[in-house]
Amino acid sequence: MEAPASTPASTPVPAPRVSAAFGVLAAALALGGAELAAALVGRPEAGPLLAVGSVFIDLSPAWLKDFAIRTFGAADKLVLLLTLAGVIAVAAGVIGTAALRRPRLAITALAGLAALAGAAALSRPGARPADVLPASVGAVGGTLALLYTRRGLRPRPAGQVTPAALARPGQPVPSTAQPARMAGAERRVLLTRGSAILGLAVLSGGAGRAITSARRSSADGRALVLPRPADPAGALPASVSLNVPGLSPFTTPNDAFYRVDTALIVPRVPHQEWTLRVHGLVDRPVELSFADLLARPLSERDITLTCVSNEVGGPYAGHARWLGVDLAALLREAGIRPGADQILSCSADGWTASTALESVLDGRDALLAIAMNGAALPPAHGFPARMIVPGLYGYVSATKWVIDLKLTRFADERAYWTRRGWAERAPIKTASRIEVPKPFAEVPAGPVTVAGTAWAQHRGIAAVEVRVDDGAWRQADLAASAGPDTWRQWQTTWQAAPGQHRLEVRATDATGHTQPAERLPPIPDGATGWHSVLVTVT
Amino acid sequence: MNIRHVAAGLPIVAATLSMTGIGSGALASTHHAGTAARAVTAPIAAPRPFGPACSTVPATGKGSFTGMAADPVATAASNNPVLSTLVTAVKKAGLVDTLNGADGITVFAPTNQAFAKIDKKTLAKVLADKKTLTSILTHHVVAGRKTPADLRRGRFTTLQGGKVATRGSGTTYKINNARVVCGDVTTRNATVYMIDTVLMPAM
Repeated sequence: MEAPASTPASTPVPAPRVSAAFGVLAAALALGGAELAAALVGRPEAGPLLAVGSVFIDLSPAWLKDFAIRTFGAADKLVLLLTLAGVIAVAAGVIGTAALRRPRLAITALAGLAALAGAAALSRPGARPADVLPASVGAVGGTLALLYTRRGLRPRPAGQVTPAALARPGQPVPSTAQPARMAGAERRVLLTRGSAILGLAVLSGGAGRAITSARRSSADGRALVLPRPADPAGALPASVSLNVPGLSPFTTPNDAFYRVDTALIVPRVPHQEWTLRVHGLVDRPVELSFADLLARPLSERDITLTCVSNEVGGPYAGHARWLGVDLAALLREAGIRPGADQILSCSADGWTASTALESVLDGRDALLAIAMNGAALPPAHGFPARMIVPGLYGYVSATKWVIDLKLTRFADERAYWTRRGWAERAPIKTASRIEVPKPFAEVPAGPVTVAGTAWAQHRGIAAVEVRVDDGAWRQADLAASAGPDTWRQWQTTWQAAPGQHRLEVRATDATGHTQPAERLPPIPDGATGWHSVLVTVT
Repeated sequence: MNIRHVAAGLPIVAATLSMTGIGSGALASTHHAGTAARAVTAPIAAPRPFGPACSTVPATGKGSFTGMAADPVATAASNNPVLSTLVTAVKKAGLVDTLNGADGITVFAPTNQAFAKIDKKTLAKVLADKKTLTSILTHHVVAGRKTPADLRRGRFTTLQGGKVATRGSGTTYKINNARVVCGDVTTRNATVYMIDTVLMPAM
């Protein structure tokens, strides 16, 4: 070692710190570029941070998720992303430092990180080959940034000592030129280059963000002009609604419609890019565009939806007028092969549902719906298209953001919730609930209106009975029926005496089947039991 | 150039992050109305439940604090082994739907140990008498979600019609003569304070 004498004087040299900072800047550019690329290919979820974050969420054990939710509450995702950003910043700092002496190693490390991000993006459900693009663009951007800033730190001709030269061990350092700080010119070059990279990072990331949000607003279908239905439903008679304050409206407004799904982020699928594949056990697999769908005859139908997870008396039921194409006709055109007994539908975010083929083909109004209550489907309810099958719980029929229909066999493939212990086939069970008066309500003695809703989709409601304090069942009055696929409102008048009283309801469907008293939980195929409400009469 | 530039790197990445819109707004699930996406949606209030019996609550699953926050109160209680006697009583009285359907209530939930203080014969008799049972159980429910601060020196009319007095501070509270053994537990529609003694209404 010839230089030890001079090293103490050279310790303030800031080169490693500067190059670490440049590493972080390069990472910022890589992320910004990746975001822009992700936006340009229309796959913001394939951006490195979101993709790696989502993979991390999927892979983390339950205790870690519980800990995160308990410790950070609703901010858990933000904490995850900031931690991820911190890890990237540290890695980028190390890479930046390494770039000073071992540029190849630094670039290899950068490529390795990009490869990880690319693999994460490709591993997501519904991933496409193009999803590797954001990570690749990021890698190229980061590499160029590293090389660009490295040029500013390159060794200079003899007589001038660069930080790089100082950091190279085993080389004699000319003692005549030991700058305590960097030369002014060099400093300016570095500052300029750093600012240029930062500016580019902000610009590309910002542009990416702007493109994504512009796409999202065009992807919610607000501008869409709906074609007239070839088979309209006609106005609902006013007599389907009872005029009882506190009773939920017959038609549920779109923004009040219940939402139960597994999507962390509401998938935004621009209708211009949407396609639906029909394949599997069919003679002629087809792929439909949204324009293809609109070109088909559209039917308008009143159908009440229910979630299997709804507890007795629960809120997960809603009614809407749907506009869509005949699902059975679509499948028949593809040529259903013998042996198929299941439609395995898949949403844009990778969720799957298994629907009994026989139910869809038995003549009921199974739809591939594009509109709800006169408006394009809201993104939260499946824009551009979703399935609706009257009489089946949503998890076995009502796939939102549907992009794939595969005809297959129950024996061969299982859907998302079926793999998690829920039933393979799940027709909606007859149900009824008391909506007026509310639980724990205080009502004055005398005549009290008791009202609610009952449903037994595709069979229809034939009768509703009410009893007080385990007394005799009394028939309630039914509102007009809007068809077997919709719920039905009911009401009765109760002569209330002071004290605490328990009201109970049960319905009978058009097949003559009355709701059983036995209480069963929602899992595996829907809750049963009579809904009750305790009220205080004063 | 000095070390400040290195430190400046982190905010840059953070800024890129927020700019790309993948902060909490994009990833956090704001709209889950349901049980389907249980683990990720539980809205946990920042203050943690407190009290000695909180340690008996399962750490994970539907019976954990996270799991209970996603379910309505009677369902949440049914997943908690410490409250099994109460749940039996609620079922016998037919109050599951009313408790689950109520909009914003506070439940003083006697633990199994609280019920164990009542002699077996009396307990069996009460459990068989729906009217008395309903009176006793609704005496443990108060309208609105009460915070620990509300309980410092409070007097509430229960949904049975009787009155309860509350007092305490910090992590020690009493509801009449019952001690809160695990308090401020969040469920979807109710705030729960587990107590060590059954509250008896004046009958």
